[in-house]
Amino acid sequence: MEKADLTRIAAEAGLTRLSDQHLEQLQRSLAAARELADKLPKDLHWSEELSLTFRLARPTGHKP
Amino acid sequence: MSDLAFLSLSEASARLRAGKLSPVTLTEALLDRIQRLNPRFHAFIRVTPDLAMAAARQAERDIKGGTWRGALHGIPFGLKDIIDWSGLPTTAHSKVLAENIATADAAVSQRLKAAGGVFMGKLATHEFAIGGPSFDLPWPPAVNPWGGRHFPGGSSSGSGVALALGLLPAALGTDTGGSVRNPASMCGIVGMKPTYGLVSRRGVFPLANSLDHVGPMTRTVRDNALLLQLIAGYDGDDPGSAEVPIPDYGAGLEAGIKGLSIGLVRHFYTEDFSAHPEQVAALDQAAQVLGELGAEVREMRLPPLEQYATTTRIIIRCEAFAIHRQWLATRPEAYGDLARQRILDGAVVSAADYIDALRLRARLTRQTLAAFADFDVVLTASNMDPACLIDDAEACARLYPRQARQPFNVTGQPALAMPAGFTADGLPLSLQLIGHPFQEAMVYRVAAAYERATTWTERHPLGL
Repeated sequence: MEKADLTRIAAEAGLTRLSDQHLEQLQRSLAAARELADKLPKDLHWSEELSLTFRLARPTGHKP
Repeated sequence: MSDLAFLSLSEASARLRAGKLSPVTLTEALLDRIQRLNPRFHAFIRVTPDLAMAAARQAERDIKGGTWRGALHGIPFGLKDIIDWSGLPTTAHSKVLAENIATADAAVSQRLKAAGGVFMGKLATHEFAIGGPSFDLPWPPAVNPWGGRHFPGGSSSGSGVALALGLLPAALGTDTGGSVRNPASMCGIVGMKPTYGLVSRRGVFPLANSLDHVGPMTRTVRDNALLLQLIAGYDGDDPGSAEVPIPDYGAGLEAGIKGLSIGLVRHFYTEDFSAHPEQVAALDQAAQVLGELGAEVREMRLPPLEQYATTTRIIIRCEAFAIHRQWLATRPEAYGDLARQRILDGAVVSAADYIDALRLRARLTRQTLAAFADFDVVLTASNMDPACLIDDAEACARLYPRQARQPFNVTGQPALAMPAGFTADGLPLSLQLIGHPFQEAMVYRVAAAYERATTWTERHPLGL
């Protein structure tokens, strides 16, 4: 990938001060992200709940 | 001296309570040992002798005056340097936080202070508990006393080394993808990752909030149960804290395991990974020992390790990047290479992949807990290999993912690593015992029976 493309991707993530060495690391990150995405099961369905679900605390001392 | 260096927490506590040992004598002896050995093994990045001696003298006055605060009273301990101790820097072993002075104690620090423990200092970690071993940080990495030139595991590396080296009888670590159990395995000590939510994370610098745990590290199973007893409990200021009853974790240690049902997840270390032959033999031998002690040991299967690793890696990287984004935007050069690489990985994972990783986590948790239903405790590998040389970066990178700890960060179940033998070269081998959520007492019961039947936790590095 060209340096200009890596610089743009970094900027989109808010990372505007990465050196050339850091951009090389970002390139490796892109490959790692693709590899991890490929390993996710393809049958995950929207009906399966997430492991993090917003949950309100139990009310304390409140009587309607 | 070696008598005091390797005195267990429970033995030291009994002597202190009986007036046969002074907290000042014990603290001075360990401070001397730290002064002699820390320059070579780098377990501590900050020793606090003044604080330690003041706490030891106070404990001595209290005990002589008839005030006994319990098992940790007068006992030296240390904290991984992502855990706040008011007035001291919490550096996370990073230049980024070198000047970060904690303004309050972490919840676990408060508890250990209230228990009369003698705080000895801050222990080395991998940078932000994610990047290591690294040689480009303000402090050198901790070195394993077993072998003398080996990787001690991480990220709670200083905690593992301090215990193996006889610098402390008790320490705390943290575990997001295995970071209590990895150094426990490589350093030949006992490390427990408790159930998610059992121990408060307030005042502990996060790596990945949804996977972070604080855990006790000791040289014996009994000591581990004692230390967990002191730090477990609900904290309304930790959103992940669980409001559950806290049992007596030491109550069942002598009960034996006759009639218990123990699952053996052998495919983790023979199919998903081909573990080192000596590690495989140690695990199979451990299963045999548990059987001879009266447990029914049966093989079982869980989802492939790669699925747990995939969800763990995506979640850690995304949550860590969210925490570090501002610093990476303004001071990327302040990070060591390894931590920067691993945290940058989270910058380019899509939100949809993160959400799918959370779906996968929920699915794996359901499947794992269902498979556990027929068993009291499950036995499997922690590490697949003994320690490599710490300056062999290629070997460290190759061996780091060869582990079976992440499944139980994913599910949040309690998981304990302990010694299971030694290689022909004298390096520790290990096993892992996993329980049902909040059933730490059962894990300790099985671990204690195994410990009594073997001698592994009685061994210490020679000549130090």
